[in-house]
Amino acid sequence: MSNNTYDAIVIGSGISGGWAAKELTEKGLKTIMLERGKNIEHIKDYVNANKGPWEFEHRGGRTQKMIEDYPVLKRDYPLNETNLDYWTNEKESPYTEIKRFDWFRGYHMGGRSLMWGRQSYRWHDTDFEANLKDGIGTDWPIRYKDLAPWYSHAEKFAGISGNRDGVPILPDGDFMPPMDMNIVEKDVQKRFKEFYKDARHFVIGRTANITVPHNNRTNCQYRNKCWLGCPFGAYFSTQSATLPAAMATGNLTVRPWSIVTKIIYDKDTKKAKGVEILDAETNKTYEFFAKIVFVNASALNSAWVLMNSATDVWEGGLGSSSGQLGHNVMDHHLGVGAGGRIEGFENKYTFGRRANGIYIPRYRNLNGEKRDYIRGFGYQGGGSRASWSRDIAELNIGGDFKDALSEPGSWSFGMGGFGETLPYHENRVYLDKTKKDKWGLPILAIDAECKENERKMRIDMMNDAKEMLENAGVKDVQTYTSDPVLGRGIHEMGTARMGRDPKSSVLNEWNQVWDAKNVFVTDGAAMASAACQNPSLTYMALTARAANHAVEELKKGNL
Amino acid sequence: MNRRAAIRNMALIMGSAVVLPSCLHDDKGKAVVELKHLKIDADQEKLVNSLTETILPKTDTPGAAELGINLFVFKMLDDCTSKEQQADFITGLAGFADEAKKQMGKPFAEGTDKERTAFVTQMEQHSKDKNYKDNAKSLAFYQMVKGQTIFGYTTSKYFMTKQVVYELVPGRYNAMYPAKKAMA
Repeated sequence: MSNNTYDAIVIGSGISGGWAAKELTEKGLKTIMLERGKNIEHIKDYVNANKGPWEFEHRGGRTQKMIEDYPVLKRDYPLNETNLDYWTNEKESPYTEIKRFDWFRGYHMGGRSLMWGRQSYRWHDTDFEANLKDGIGTDWPIRYKDLAPWYSHAEKFAGISGNRDGVPILPDGDFMPPMDMNIVEKDVQKRFKEFYKDARHFVIGRTANITVPHNNRTNCQYRNKCWLGCPFGAYFSTQSATLPAAMATGNLTVRPWSIVTKIIYDKDTKKAKGVEILDAETNKTYEFFAKIVFVNASALNSAWVLMNSATDVWEGGLGSSSGQLGHNVMDHHLGVGAGGRIEGFENKYTFGRRANGIYIPRYRNLNGEKRDYIRGFGYQGGGSRASWSRDIAELNIGGDFKDALSEPGSWSFGMGGFGETLPYHENRVYLDKTKKDKWGLPILAIDAECKENERKMRIDMMNDAKEMLENAGVKDVQTYTSDPVLGRGIHEMGTARMGRDPKSSVLNEWNQVWDAKNVFVTDGAAMASAACQNPSLTYMALTARAANHAVEELKKGNL
Repeated sequence: MNRRAAIRNMALIMGSAVVLPSCLHDDKGKAVVELKHLKIDADQEKLVNSLTETILPKTDTPGAAELGINLFVFKMLDDCTSKEQQADFITGLAGFADEAKKQMGKPFAEGTDKERTAFVTQMEQHSKDKNYKDNAKSLAFYQMVKGQTIFGYTTSKYFMTKQVVYELVPGRYNAMYPAKKAMA
């Protein structure tokens, strides 16, 4: 075996790439994981994780310089001084927005597994059957029963804390003990239950933060600084979980600064031979060869890699024969919800900072209900007690005002919706050959938007939030909404969808590219629909399932 | 505060090393705080320093000046506000200074605690009065300084370790903690 030959190549080191590396190496495959950005070493490189809030020059805020340097990131919460290094340099890696698309990327070891929101929910058969039932997009080639054991597999290893709530639409998993609701959340939940009985549910969030020690990782210390990287390894990331497991096998090689420019396709065998990379530091080109290739570059960049591959056979790239590669861009639409004041509980406070909230699973368009839109939405939210930012009307300035700043304010409760977006063929990404990135590579153009179904859904998302909070005893409820922008959910999906037919999908039921069976795409690109649950747990399960299949097929000599 | 002390305090607050400038003699008209974008003179600097101390004065606990909150306010305004906001800040500052001088008969910074408090209390009332339309920029200036003063104070090491209990590693989540205990 030469230095450049492996059993498997994994493109990308984020949530799904890390899982691919772990599963393949544990099954004995010599694997190389290629990461386009720098290395970030677990704990050692979490440089801001142990700082007090006062140790940040601008106390975590954003400077004018940052705003100028990050014209996309500045549009939402991610732009801040505490983990700026984890977000992609927009000047080096631009993209073209045909319509506004907020693409928040992380080009480094671990990808967005370092900054992710960690909410982890299973899908339900309602989700897998939705496209077929509605006659939209392509039918999922799998059902819940196909993924259920892999959900368990993913949950047991990643460590998902949650309660077995018995909510039909949100299947229970193999959970670690749940985090607590605070006193106000419990109060709201009680009244919510009294009002909605079993028609709607109000549960503690299911999160990839471990609540008991697990695989040499320390349980969550309630710091709520997850996105700085956790020195305790308490939340699931490539660095805390899949990478050490893969390294322990002795089968993994990791190569940072490796931008995969194309998959090398062999016309004769109709399979991939390997990949070509550009070293991001030296600008030198290298080739790596393997029996199988896992594409886990994140939904839009996985499409980019495929579009740049085998263009001598298919003009639109590997997987484009279906006419679906790069199409059907999805996300979750959000930025709509409500909040209000909670009376009482002045003698109670919370101690510790819980990096989790409550969840209200989907309830619309189920059990025969038909709204003026299809699919549904869920809510994430929580109760909290204000600190100094409250209005102290009678106190303006002076010593008493100063003292009052250290007393807690009133309780409030708020929640925001996460809505399903449909797979519209015209929502797409493609190569913008008129512009190049820092390395002279073509960049992506993104042309995608929310449409009527999402806009109609948002009316319910806003009004239902108000109604539910009022029914649960929350006072002075105020609603908010915004123009829905794709990308903002940071749940890009759909650009190389799974399906039952090579004519209408890029991948088969095992995430294999129809046109090159030894190429597997198991990140958000594979999604045939978006559901409304946070998607990462599903990527983990799909990846583990596909890796298992890949190894079985290799053993049978089919790949 | 002299320049050397100001620089030392800035270094303490920002938690980073500051290179001492070679020129340390006090230039009467020049502000001692080092700013990159915002251009202010010594009198304007004194006014802002004095205003932060008026908002959060020293009592049996430290005030804004002792905690260096004034320096934080300048740092934030210098680094984190746009050119337009900075221009408004300067205009508002001048308006505030003029109005204070007119009412107090002397520069704001030279007023007694009582005089300064009375003047700022009046600003507070104006800013809460929806019908009050005059001196919009002076009010905006005041709100900018007040907002950053409170932000700086409530995120200061002093506040987070002595006034409220902030633990870097709480290690637990208590969902119904007695409020008094939490406030130490």
